Amino acid sequence: MTIDFWGLGLQAINFLILVWLLTRVFWRPVAAAIVARQTAARSLLNEGKSLQAKADAALAEVAEIRAGMAAEREALLAKAATEAETATKAVLAEARDKADKLIAAAELARKRDAEAARAREAARSAELAVDIARRLLDRLPREEVQAAFLDLLVKALTEMKPQDRAALQGAREGIELVGPTDLEAAEQARIAKAVQTALGGPAKLRFVTEPELIAGFELRTSHFVLHNSWQADLDAILKELKHAA
Amino acid sequence: MDSPLDSVALFHIGPVAITQAILTTWAIMAVLVLGAYLLSRNLVLMPSKRQAALELIVSTIDIQIRETTGAEPAPYRGFIGTLFLFILVANWSSLLPGVEPPTATLETDAALAVLVFLSVIWFGVRGTGWGGYFRSFAAPNPVMIPLNMMESITRVFSMFVRLFGNVMSGVFVIGIVASLAGLLVPIPLMALDLLTGLVQAYIFAVLAMVFISATVEDGRPETADADPSTPSREMER
Repeated sequence: MTIDFWGLGLQAINFLILVWLLTRVFWRPVAAAIVARQTAARSLLNEGKSLQAKADAALAEVAEIRAGMAAEREALLAKAATEAETATKAVLAEARDKADKLIAAAELARKRDAEAARAREAARSAELAVDIARRLLDRLPREEVQAAFLDLLVKALTEMKPQDRAALQGAREGIELVGPTDLEAAEQARIAKAVQTALGGPAKLRFVTEPELIAGFELRTSHFVLHNSWQADLDAILKELKHAA
Repeated sequence: MDSPLDSVALFHIGPVAITQAILTTWAIMAVLVLGAYLLSRNLVLMPSKRQAALELIVSTIDIQIRETTGAEPAPYRGFIGTLFLFILVANWSSLLPGVEPPTATLETDAALAVLVFLSVIWFGVRGTGWGGYFRSFAAPNPVMIPLNMMESITRVFSMFVRLFGNVMSGVFVIGIVASLAGLLVPIPLMALDLLTGLVQAYIFAVLAMVFISATVEDGRPETADADPSTPSREMER
């Protein structure tokens, strides 16, 4: 048994060359591919974890937003209920005010209508009284009625205070002696004489005709009126009737 | 039949006799390099079955290196992995008719053993320096220095003899049986020879790794020697 040392050395060189070549074309590339895949897998895992963390954070944020929305919805509902209640109260109060105003206006209108009706009734009563008085007067002899009123006028003048009677007599603008009908001259003279006698002296008289008096005589100056007619009596009665109503 | 212990020179290149084992070694080198080059082209992130098989080989060797030494496999992958692949393919080349495996010759096995011996020195010095390498002979104590120096040679010699004996004997037995019993009878023995070739390749590569790692570990300072990861003694026995 012999060993060929040249062959031994050549085989050793052959093996070293093989080691060098395989390291270049096999071991390093394949190991690099394994490391690259491990790196990529690790990167993907880290990225996945990062994405999962982001997704968890987003989910938590969505849950928080949802909870906030629920709370906001409750708050809005409560606010809307409060506003509706306030508006309802305001509408009710406004309606109540309007109703009160309508009631007050209706009451006022009712009173006004009642007052107007009462005024109409009073006016109608006065007209009726005047009409009655006129009809009654038509049945009486006008001369006697006028004579009676002249007597009443004279009596009133007689019963006046002397200073008042003197002031009336001395009225500068004169005294209007108002009657319901036009008088003849003779009758005017008779009446003027009776009045001047009652006044206690001559007075400046001027006869005026007013049919509204119905019957009677009235004396008028700028500062004095002596009512002595059926019209004045009826007005007094009507006033009393109104007061009584 | 020629003696299996003799190598017949086919031709000479200068003083170097080119034997069939050397030619077969070149052929194996060509097949391995060309095959590795063709198979490892176009490696992508999403592996094909071809790439997955290549990565399985590399990963398995890395796992073996890591479990044996506890260190990162990158510095040792090229040498140990090539050692395993070459011995395996060389052992299995006996299946081809007319091909005698290079590992059945003394020169090839001796060359591999010498390279293992030198790689122990290389990795030991690179890992711990010359001081660390020489300190590894004093483990566990200086009294063991002569024995350890003797052992560094004998253990490599035993590897060489073990590989040569197993492969050569397999080839020799198959040759004898084939010459005596015809065509089909050697098949079971050839199947057994496949297993033997795989086991021998594995043992040779693992022992080389164990020797390297033992030298690196023994060469480290004592303070860091808390991990008794020196299975070399166990493996050798």
